[in-house]
Amino acid sequence: MTSPSLVTSDLTIRFGGHVAVNSVSCAFKPGELTVIVGPNGAGKTTYFNLISGQLAASAGTVTKDGVNITRMSPSARAAQGLGRAFQLTNLFPQLSVLENIRLAVQARAGAGWRMFTPVGHFRRLTQKAEHYLEVTRLSNVAHQPAANLPHGDQRKLEVALLMAMEPDIYMFDEPTAGMSLDQAPDVLDLIAGIKADTTKTVLLVEHKMEVVRALADRIIVLHNGELLADGDPAEVMNSQIVRDVYLGRATEGAA
Amino acid sequence: MTTQIATQNTGTYLIKGIVLIIAALLLFAPFLFQDVRSLEVAARICIFIVLVASFDLLIGYTGIVSFAHTMFFGFGAYGAAILLKEMGPGWTPVILGGLAGVAVSLVFAVAIGLLSLRVKAIFFAMITLAAASVVLVLASQLSQITGGEDGITYRGPDLFKTATKLVTDDDGKVVRLWGVRLNGKLAAYYFVFFTSLILFLAMLRFVGSPFGTVLKAIRENEARAEAIGYRVVAYRTAVFCLSAVVASLAGTVYAVWLKYTGPATTLSFAIMIDILLMVVIGGMGTMWGAVIGAVLMILAQYYLRDLMGVASEAVAAVPILPELLAPDRWLFWLGIIFILLVYFFPKGIAGTAMSGGAKQ
Repeated sequence: MTSPSLVTSDLTIRFGGHVAVNSVSCAFKPGELTVIVGPNGAGKTTYFNLISGQLAASAGTVTKDGVNITRMSPSARAAQGLGRAFQLTNLFPQLSVLENIRLAVQARAGAGWRMFTPVGHFRRLTQKAEHYLEVTRLSNVAHQPAANLPHGDQRKLEVALLMAMEPDIYMFDEPTAGMSLDQAPDVLDLIAGIKADTTKTVLLVEHKMEVVRALADRIIVLHNGELLADGDPAEVMNSQIVRDVYLGRATEGAA
Repeated sequence: MTTQIATQNTGTYLIKGIVLIIAALLLFAPFLFQDVRSLEVAARICIFIVLVASFDLLIGYTGIVSFAHTMFFGFGAYGAAILLKEMGPGWTPVILGGLAGVAVSLVFAVAIGLLSLRVKAIFFAMITLAAASVVLVLASQLSQITGGEDGITYRGPDLFKTATKLVTDDDGKVVRLWGVRLNGKLAAYYFVFFTSLILFLAMLRFVGSPFGTVLKAIRENEARAEAIGYRVVAYRTAVFCLSAVVASLAGTVYAVWLKYTGPATTLSFAIMIDILLMVVIGGMGTMWGAVIGAVLMILAQYYLRDLMGVASEAVAAVPILPELLAPDRWLFWLGIIFILLVYFFPKGIAGTAMSGGAKQ
């Protein structure tokens, strides 16, 4: 058994009286792709925000490779090897696609404080950025501002930014949302490629069942901020509790 | 798409060409425009290009709105002015004063930066406004040190005295080159020109570096910049300090050139508004915009009156027109020109030209 790379213990956040994520304890291992499912408003994205630091936990801890990162800023967590892509496209709109990716590469290389050397002198960074452009099939739009890309390409750039960070832990939040049918497989192939590297831990929020079936090693179900089920994909998908959640019975019960 | 990229390049070359011409004109200004006032204007342009460009680092590149830029400009100017007054003319007070200005600017920039760069942009702007107001009041009140409202008059290094002869002929008279006396005034102008040039080129390096890209990333999407691993607060504080240091150095150079420093030449909010207008008219986030904005604005401030005087006389026979064009109404026309510029060049002149036409 490999030891877990990411652990959340009793992770909780309250917004006033509303508990958006309620005492979620879960461990994630390298080489494992975990899909997080749950109805809208279940707290999936909030759970992600707590792990990657966009939100501060009200209670509980997040540990990465034994280091408590609960109080760290998002940038410090990124430096620890935690990478996150966003559900709503979250790019640098006026910068070119290449510059977007180079920023992520450069953050990883720690070159952001180089003040007096022109960007062009860092050939290795540019080459790496170009590599990720190629991998994500964005080379042909490298010099377009990100804002000019069609939605599907923006989603790909979102994934490319995460890949260029070269983290240990990849967090994808509905990476194929709003993508056309012929583009989604590209992104799924990329995620499958990451999954093939057994040193990487992958967390994926996804609704599309065919995606879940194709990629998941494990499924966890969030509902009303609580961890409802955790286990083997086939088992979880067929369990009564998940059927209830998706059919809405559990919601009625809670209300 | 290809045509768009093509126009982009044309616009960029056009702007760079104009900037090069401006640089050449400034380089030969003492020979091309041989009167005291023109040289005054040229020196002011040099210094304001640096001042506006350093402000562009904040507002255009990083998206930080600060009203304290004249404060840093003033620290540099007063540093040199006070020491030149106390120690007498020479290079030591200039250097020490410049360093003191930089040191005070850094202390203020770090303090304001760390205390308030975490808060929302509007609060940050208010805090800088408050700090700048306090310093302006202090400069007017501490008259024993700062000369109060009257400011300080002093002499610069001996090299820059008009009586200094840089090159003499056999009779001991100052040599003329193309009709220009090679005297201390000329040396003073080139001191201003080359320090400004060096500071501007340094800023060009900053914005072209990985650091500069991070600044743009923060402007574009602060949360994502943080998420991919950049400590946004640290970068914002750093660029705030950097811009403060450059503004302070520009202030020192201006103090040496003017041989006078007072609230009206360095600290006043009128100058802050000028800087804002210059960066908006020139185009934010381009560096070239600072050059174009500063040149246009200063030329308008100095020459629009004269131009209108001529125009008013030329149309003396026509009713009403001479009244409209009377030199006293120059501010009115300046205002109209600004409104038109902002309307037709929403991203500033350089910004609009470089992004391929006014339509976008």
